[in-house]
Amino acid sequence: MTAPVRQLKAEAAEAVIERAEIAAGHDGVAELALSIRYENGVVGQVVLDPDTGFSVMRACGAADLQGLIGRSWRQVSKGLSNV
Amino acid sequence: MYDLLIKGGRVVDGTGAPAFAADVAVKDGRIAAVGADLGEAKHVIDARGQVVAPGFIDPHTHFDVQLLWDGAAKPALEHGITSVVPGNCSLSLAPLKAKDRKALVGMFQQIEELPPAAFTDAFEWTWEDFAGYRAALEKGLAINVAPLVGHSVIRLWVMGPDANQRAARPEEVRAMQDLLRECLKAGAVGLSTSFVDVDEKARPVPSRFADFAELDALSAVLGEFGRMLQIVPEFYDADITIARIDQLAELSLKHRIPTTFSPVFDSRFAPNAAPRQLARVEEQFARGARVWPQMQTRPIDISFSLLRPSLFFARLPSWMRTLRQPLPERLAALRDAETVERLIADAGPDGGQAIFGSLVARGGDALPAELAGQTLGEIAKARGETPARALITLSLGHGLEVAFIAANRGHEDTGRIGPMLASPHVHIGASDGGAHIAAFATYGDTGYLFSEFVRKAHAMTLEQAVKKITSETAEIWRIKDRGTLKEGFAADIVVFDPDAIDRGEEHAVFDMPGDGMRYVRGSVGVDTVVVNGEIAWAKGAYTDAKAGEICGLA
Repeated sequence: MTAPVRQLKAEAAEAVIERAEIAAGHDGVAELALSIRYENGVVGQVVLDPDTGFSVMRACGAADLQGLIGRSWRQVSKGLSNV
Repeated sequence: MYDLLIKGGRVVDGTGAPAFAADVAVKDGRIAAVGADLGEAKHVIDARGQVVAPGFIDPHTHFDVQLLWDGAAKPALEHGITSVVPGNCSLSLAPLKAKDRKALVGMFQQIEELPPAAFTDAFEWTWEDFAGYRAALEKGLAINVAPLVGHSVIRLWVMGPDANQRAARPEEVRAMQDLLRECLKAGAVGLSTSFVDVDEKARPVPSRFADFAELDALSAVLGEFGRMLQIVPEFYDADITIARIDQLAELSLKHRIPTTFSPVFDSRFAPNAAPRQLARVEEQFARGARVWPQMQTRPIDISFSLLRPSLFFARLPSWMRTLRQPLPERLAALRDAETVERLIADAGPDGGQAIFGSLVARGGDALPAELAGQTLGEIAKARGETPARALITLSLGHGLEVAFIAANRGHEDTGRIGPMLASPHVHIGASDGGAHIAAFATYGDTGYLFSEFVRKAHAMTLEQAVKKITSETAEIWRIKDRGTLKEGFAADIVVFDPDAIDRGEEHAVFDMPGDGMRYVRGSVGVDTVVVNGEIAWAKGAYTDAKAGEICGLA
C-alpha cells in the first residue's frame, strides 16, 4: 500500500496536463489547447500556436494528443523554453 | 427634383425602431427625405419586397493597402458595407518615413498576406505624413474610410530601429504625442495598438515594446479629441485579456475616451473565457468606462495543406510523424505504398471518413477548379477511394499545395454566440477584412449576421441587427452623420432582401497585384449599395462611382 500512496502524493505535487485538444486559432491555423490541473486542484487553459505546440509535444516525447495527458507542466515549460 | 428615390421598401432606419413602409429621397449626397409621396427623382430604385437600411460600418479591417488601388475594398462593399475602419492592430501606412517603408511592408505582409507586388506595382508612395496618406486615399474611394493611426508606425517614426527594441524615453514619448496629435488633426479616427502581433520574421511589432506610461501619454492625446483607442490583447488567454480590459477602463475613465479590443471569440475548449471577459466589460461599463469588445459573427475554420506541418493531425501519430519530416522525406514517404497503407489504417476503419470526410478542398493555385468546394468525402466517392487515400493522392498530384478547410471548428456555437452578439455591450466587428487573404475569406460577416443570428437563431430582430452595425457603430466611433437613415445624414444606403441576405460560398480569386490569390465571399441578397448618394453596386455589379470619402468625425 505504501508505494501507490507515495505515487499519488507525487502526482498531486505538480501540475499536469489533464486534457489536450486541437482548437481553431484566430488566424485559421490549428492550435494546441491544453487543460492544466494545478497542484491546488484549479484547472486552467493554455492555447499554444503551432510552433509552440509542436515543441511541447517534442519535449514531452508525445506522438499524439493522447501522449500529452498526464504529463507534467514542467515538461511543457521545458518545451516552451526551447521555442 | 431629387437625385435618387428608393421607393416601396421597408425602412429599417438604424435606430432599432420597427421597420416602416417609406420611400427614401437623396439629393447632393445626403438623405433629403424619408416618407411617402416624396416627388420625382432623376433615378428611381424599386425596393418593393426589400429592406432599405443605412450602409453597414465595419470597424475592424486591414484595407489600408488595398484601398490605394481598389477604392471599393472589394468585396466588402457589395455586402452593404459603406464605411470601413482600417489601420487596426498598430499598423497603418502613415505616418511613415520613406526609409522605414521596407520595415512596415514586412509587418503588413505578415498580417494581410498580400503579395510583394501589392507594395511595389499597385500604387506610388507619395506620402510620409498622415495628411499625405489621406490625400492619396481620397483620390479613388468608392467606400468611406475612417482610418486609425498605428502605434507601431508612430514608434517607428520617432524611434527608428529602436522602435522594436526598447521602451521609449520621455522625450520620445513627447514626440510621439505630437505626432499622434498631428494625425488626429488630419482625420485619424483614433490610435491602434497591439500586444500580440509579429512581423514577417516573427519579431514583436514595435507597439509591444511600449510601457503603460507611453500608452497613458498617447491616450491623453486621444482624450484631447475624444478619439478611440483600439487594442489587440493577448486574446488567447482570458486572464490577461481581463487585465487588459481593466487597463482600458482606466484609460477610458482617466482620459474620457472610448476604447475597444478585438477579437473576442467563443471556444468549446474554454467555454468560460468569453463570458468572463464580457462580464468584466459589463462591470467596467457600470463604472462609466467605455470598453467595447469586438466579436465576429462568422465561425472560425482551420485551414491547412500537407506542405507545412499542421496540428490538425495531432490525433494521428503516424500522420504526425510522416508530415513533420523535411519536404523531400515527406514526399518520399507519401509515395511509399507501405507507408500510405499504414497512414490509411491509422485514419480508422472507415478509411478516414469521420476524420477527413467533411474537409473541403479549396480552390487556389493548386487544385483543379472542378474539385474546388467539394468535400474529401465527395471527391473520394467519385474516385472510388477512401477519404484518407484521396487526401494523399490529391495532395501528391499537386505538390502538396492543395489547401483543405475544416469548417466551423471554433466560435461556431450559434446558441451561445447569439446572446453575446445581442448584448448591448458587445460591438459586432473583428471581421479583419483585407487581412489573412490567402488563408480564409474575411468578407460577408454582415450577411452571416442576418442569415444565422436573425433568421435562423432569432437571437435578435432585424432592426436590432441593423442598429448594431450602423448607428451603434457610428456612435461608438463618433463617426459623424452616418449610420442612420435620417434627413441630413450621408446617403449611405443598402437595399437588401431580408429573407435572403447572406454570405456566398468561399472561393479563390486572382485579383491581387501580380495575379496574387486570395479567398473571398460574394454577397447574397444585397440588391443595391449607395455611397454618399451614388450607386456603387447594383444588381450584382460594381459601378464606376467614386463617391467615398474620409469620414467626418463628431
